[in-house]
Amino acid sequence: MVLVSAARDYVNRMLQDISGMKVLILDSQTVSIVSVVYSQSELLQKEVFLVELVDSISKSKESMSHLKAVYFLRPTLENIQHLRRQLANPRFGESHLFFSNMLKDTQIHILADSDEQEVVQQVQEYYADFVAIDPYHFTLNIPSNHMYMLPAVVDPPGLQQFCDRIVDGISTVFLALKRRPVIRYQRTSDIAKRIAQETSKLMYQQESGLFDFRRTEISPLLLIVDRRDDPVTPLLNQWTYQAMVHELIGIHDNKVDLSSTGKLPKDQQEVVLSSEQDAFFKANMYENFGDIGMSIKRMVDDFQQVAKSNQNIQTIEDMAKFVDSYPEYRKMHGNVSKHVTLVTEMSKIVGERRLMLISEREQDLACNGGQVAAFEAVTNLLNNESVSDIDRLHLVMLYALRYEKESPVQLMQLFNKLASQSPKYKPGLVQFLLKQAGVDKRTGDLYGNRDLLNIARNMARGLKGVENVYTQHQPLLFQTMESIIKGRLRDVDYPFVGNHFQQGRPQDVVIFIVGGTTYEESRSVALQNASNSGTRFILGGSVVLNSKRFLKDLEEAQRIAKYSTNVV
Amino acid sequence: MATRNRTLIFRKYRDALKSVRVPSSSSPSTSSSGGGGGGPVIELASTSLLNHNRKYTPLSTEDPGNSSKGALTVGLPPAWVDVSEEISSNVQRARMKMVELAKAHAKALMPSFGDGKEDQRMIEGLTQEITGLIRKSEKKLQRLAAAGPSEDSNIRKNVQRSLATDLQNLSIELRKKQSTYLKRLRQQKEGQDGVDLEMNLNGSRSIIDDDNLDDMVVESVNELAQIMKDLSVLVIDQGTIVDRIDYNIQNVATTVEEGLKQLQKAERTQKRGGMVMCATVLVIMCFIMLVLLVLKTIVF
Repeated sequence: MVLVSAARDYVNRMLQDISGMKVLILDSQTVSIVSVVYSQSELLQKEVFLVELVDSISKSKESMSHLKAVYFLRPTLENIQHLRRQLANPRFGESHLFFSNMLKDTQIHILADSDEQEVVQQVQEYYADFVAIDPYHFTLNIPSNHMYMLPAVVDPPGLQQFCDRIVDGISTVFLALKRRPVIRYQRTSDIAKRIAQETSKLMYQQESGLFDFRRTEISPLLLIVDRRDDPVTPLLNQWTYQAMVHELIGIHDNKVDLSSTGKLPKDQQEVVLSSEQDAFFKANMYENFGDIGMSIKRMVDDFQQVAKSNQNIQTIEDMAKFVDSYPEYRKMHGNVSKHVTLVTEMSKIVGERRLMLISEREQDLACNGGQVAAFEAVTNLLNNESVSDIDRLHLVMLYALRYEKESPVQLMQLFNKLASQSPKYKPGLVQFLLKQAGVDKRTGDLYGNRDLLNIARNMARGLKGVENVYTQHQPLLFQTMESIIKGRLRDVDYPFVGNHFQQGRPQDVVIFIVGGTTYEESRSVALQNASNSGTRFILGGSVVLNSKRFLKDLEEAQRIAKYSTNVV
Repeated sequence: MATRNRTLIFRKYRDALKSVRVPSSSSPSTSSSGGGGGGPVIELASTSLLNHNRKYTPLSTEDPGNSSKGALTVGLPPAWVDVSEEISSNVQRARMKMVELAKAHAKALMPSFGDGKEDQRMIEGLTQEITGLIRKSEKKLQRLAAAGPSEDSNIRKNVQRSLATDLQNLSIELRKKQSTYLKRLRQQKEGQDGVDLEMNLNGSRSIIDDDNLDDMVVESVNELAQIMKDLSVLVIDQGTIVDRIDYNIQNVATTVEEGLKQLQKAERTQKRGGMVMCATVLVIMCFIMLVLLVLKTIVF
């Protein structure tokens, strides 16, 4: 609840003290921030009758001085410029400015200069600079996410912008929680180190007054890790509801766009999947596909019963009951249609792409050993005509990540086969992945074969057998969280920034994955939080990944890297 | 939840820059209205037009002529705001009457010596008044709709939706109150019938009353169904895509673009239409003349 309620509180406070008809003006980022936590009907209750983007509102010239303008923007250069123009020729009666992050003095100066007509009534900083998609999961929706894979020399200003956005986002999470953390980062990742140091500088030096909160016995922990430490999780096919929808169709800001999947009635072309608003989704978002099918069937049966009783109207009382319960009936109908459509669509994709067969192999590659058997299996699947190009690429990548060092000849064979079969495959992509996230670059024990304890654990698991072969994978994050709970996160692998130090186990932990999180990881975090271990985890990332996005970032980074080496 | 107020610094800069800009001439009215010049602005805009928790306050017609150069000239809101204000005041009145109705219901249900006809009449009267208010408001609501994509039409649509939700909630509440009252009344009547079975008069009267009750139920259900049908187009279903702020912004952008395209197309067709018509007329005339000429040469 923490992140969602913090963002909601900020929006509430913005609107409650201003009376009369209001217009809410947002920018393209704050639209996402507000839309995931606040609904249109709630805005209407607060008398906000128009919502506009700051760049489009300058285009119209009509004066609406009976409205009060509430601006909620990120303090970027473009937004300040937009504001300047609008304050110089104000269209609204009053202006109330709220910024999602810290303003520089020069920016305030510029705004004050252009406010000749004195329409600005207040200027506040309300620190909601993150998109709270789930109670313990936030994202920043950074478009140029591939930056983290490139060395700093390629595009210094771009990389600086990337890091700034992340530092801004993380710091507002802590401002919203009113805590100042101890910061640790992954040793092998330069970008994680850079972000950790810049965040520390902001919180402890530049704005130390702002972050000077009441100190508790044990400070919270901010851990910054790199996506490349666990490249396996984004490549796997998912079988739990939320993760599966994102992998097969795509969720953006808790919305699912179904318009590309054939003929659907107009109200089902885009749907909302939010755990805060949909009780069925909240109960089933982490369940696996088989169980979801059962739950949906139950829901449909319940609904059909209600529908039948509604059709069977004989007495006046029945009629009265129908009319009274009509709004709820309508809502139920919408919800049932939504989930049935989603599951039908996903079943179709599973059938078309033979995902059950492929995913079994993927999970094997991710979790179990046996190089020879794996090589054979992957070769067979590559030869199989009905396997799509994307899935072939996934399989080869997963094989390469695990058996990078074991049999280079066979690995080359797979690369060649892949290149010959898939015309759209960009040559060298798998090698690029290995260069970025190969075994030399990783800190964590991704396959559980470095640490004796992990090896033993794996063997025990192999002997016991798994409940469900499709969901046997545990993301590396799970191990990291366990280490933190037991207080055994190694200093060697995850050093502290500067002279920070932490004695004992933290009770609040924010883990930020540079490069993006996945819904499988957010599920892991949610289940961990539900287990009441005394530590509360919050997960955040620069984007929310699925395999498509991860590959896109990889390709983009490869393209830029190639271009820059050519230029040099 | 941490926040930081930068208004003071902002005002400091603003005043400093203002004095730099207008160093010599600073009429006292301007400087005084610098702080109070926000005054007329706030006063006009702060009349809560559609806030249901406050009393209904009429719009103050502030004469914008006396504002000096420093303060912003605040105009009057557009005409449709009057309609929305009427509707919201109707909603207020209906709510107050609902409170009265609840009291009347409670009084009628209490055992009394009289035959309760007066209470019944009052209840019926109140119910009819409330239903009438809701119907009137609903009809007025249709007038709020505006054609054409523009910011104003979006505001009007949103105001419509907000009022539609209020009206729907009101009618559902009314219906609920009615149904509980009628149910309890029926229970009471049945209790009474059980006691004086031998009184024939009572028996016949209770049959008539039962019919009355049924009629009332049918009527109220009918009314509610009508209202809900009319309003369901406007009311937002919570939790659906239509309830998302970003979806509504996208729609605004596309409808405005669409509208622009349509306007452009219309302009073009109109221009072309005129020319096409002229050309066609001329061609027809040419043909007619040709025919006449041929006829003339043949005849003569």
